[in-house]
Amino acid sequence: MGKTAKIALAGEGGQGVQSVAEILAEAAYEEGREAIYIPNFGVEQRGGVSIAYLQISDQPIGSPKFQKADIVVALSDRAVIRTQRYVDERTTFVYDTSIEGVEEHLPKNAGRVFGIPAIEVSKTELHPRVFNIIIMGAVIRATEVVTLDEAKTAIEKKLGYKFDENPKLREMNYQALEAGIALVEKAL
Amino acid sequence: MTEKPIQGERKMFLTGNEVVAWAALAAKVDIMYGYPITPQNEIMHYWTRMAPKYGKKFLQTEDELSAGFTTIGGVLAGKKAFTATAGPGNTLMQEPISMAEMMRIPTVVVIQQRGGPSTATVIYSQQEVTMTTYGGNGEGFRVVYSTATHQELFDYTIKAFNTAWKYRFPTFVLGDGYQAKMRESLHIYDPEEKGIKLVEPTPTLSRPGQIGVNREPNHIRNTYNTEEELYQIVMGYAKEYAEISPEIIEFQEQDVDDAEIVIVSHGVVSRAALAATQELRKAGYKVGYFRPITLRPFPTERMRAVAANTKKLLVVESALGQLNKLVLNEIYGLTTPIETLLKPGVGVTSEEIVTRIKSLL
Repeated sequence: MGKTAKIALAGEGGQGVQSVAEILAEAAYEEGREAIYIPNFGVEQRGGVSIAYLQISDQPIGSPKFQKADIVVALSDRAVIRTQRYVDERTTFVYDTSIEGVEEHLPKNAGRVFGIPAIEVSKTELHPRVFNIIIMGAVIRATEVVTLDEAKTAIEKKLGYKFDENPKLREMNYQALEAGIALVEKAL
Repeated sequence: MTEKPIQGERKMFLTGNEVVAWAALAAKVDIMYGYPITPQNEIMHYWTRMAPKYGKKFLQTEDELSAGFTTIGGVLAGKKAFTATAGPGNTLMQEPISMAEMMRIPTVVVIQQRGGPSTATVIYSQQEVTMTTYGGNGEGFRVVYSTATHQELFDYTIKAFNTAWKYRFPTFVLGDGYQAKMRESLHIYDPEEKGIKLVEPTPTLSRPGQIGVNREPNHIRNTYNTEEELYQIVMGYAKEYAEISPEIIEFQEQDVDDAEIVIVSHGVVSRAALAATQELRKAGYKVGYFRPITLRPFPTERMRAVAANTKKLLVVESALGQLNKLVLNEIYGLTTPIETLLKPGVGVTSEEIVTRIKSLL
């Protein structure tokens, strides 16, 4: 088996983790790589922790879910707790620094744990709407599974129709992507 | 209206439910009947989005009983018809499919297995194996393809219509919630451009001509007056089913010849089994991989040969022994020990299988 990047993204319903995983999977596919993306889904229509499982590889991928992730991104207190099971000594665990009272729940066994102020940056410097694109930038930098160009192309494919109505949105999404990359660079 | 839905071969990145809708279009299906249930809903969504462009139809019924019976109605009228369901919907579907079995109506049903019993989870399982292979009040005269990849979901959905119409036994494509919801790449194509001949549907009822003048009556029955009469019919079906089985049976295997242990799995779990086999082989373990693609009819002959030639079998599935029951039945008389890794309603990863195999060797 070749090396497969295993990524778990978790947040509250509505934070957009599924969209991020979908765009990343699309970007990897466009690069000619193998990708599998599967959402977790329960009976609830909204609310609850939403987890996206993403695998990217140069070879055909086995089961759609995995036991331990190379990178876990947790965006709420419940998401931090829910995703502990995907962590082992090789896992990079990324969480949002605005989550309160979560320190004691951060995994002790992770290879590396760091926080990024993505929620804050989205509110103060950009727009809450592009929060998940900041996260996407963070994942790209932390995993290097897809290139920035492919990520931009995949965003264009998914949101291009919105950009056509409002070209400023394109600029804001690209800024968000770069902001996410910068946040991880700073934290590393 | 006459434009082909798929021109040439195209690589796409889709969910499994989208794949099924594309495959049904590619197979020149006329109509889908359905009732919503997770995780197969998007088959209906995509079908209703795409099908009208090509003059195809959809009918939402009041439940799965009705979806199954209207599918039968469509087929009797000479239309290529199908339905899709899951879990408790599959339970209800067994009633119309029993009728299809008795009356030899070429229905196609796509199942995306969810957790059970009852409502359970909307997510995933392999717990509908027993029901899909032997459900209803009959003898399991049906064909069940268990798919593992999106490519297979496309290929076997197309094939299911040919199998059903050629042999006139109800045919199932058995997927699951993971396959339904995950995205991965596959090649979609027009089967006829690839030389795959699509069986033309013909009406069972209201055929042209006049009975007694220029055609015979076509009397299809699901009721019999005497035990002997029924016995004769059922035994006739059994004989026919046994005769055609070698043409239908499909399986996949790797590294079984010198294997000390062979992993037996089906469907999406076989992806993990195959990955585990490859990893273990690299590490020097003599592990083999065997996967029935048709769960009905089961690849008995090959399964027996593989079991007889190895020291141990490990049956792995996301159910508490539904595949294992089939395997046990098929290899009766052999003394090869069977170990199991059974996780009802839960996915299986290659890591778990690797760990298990290492503990067994």
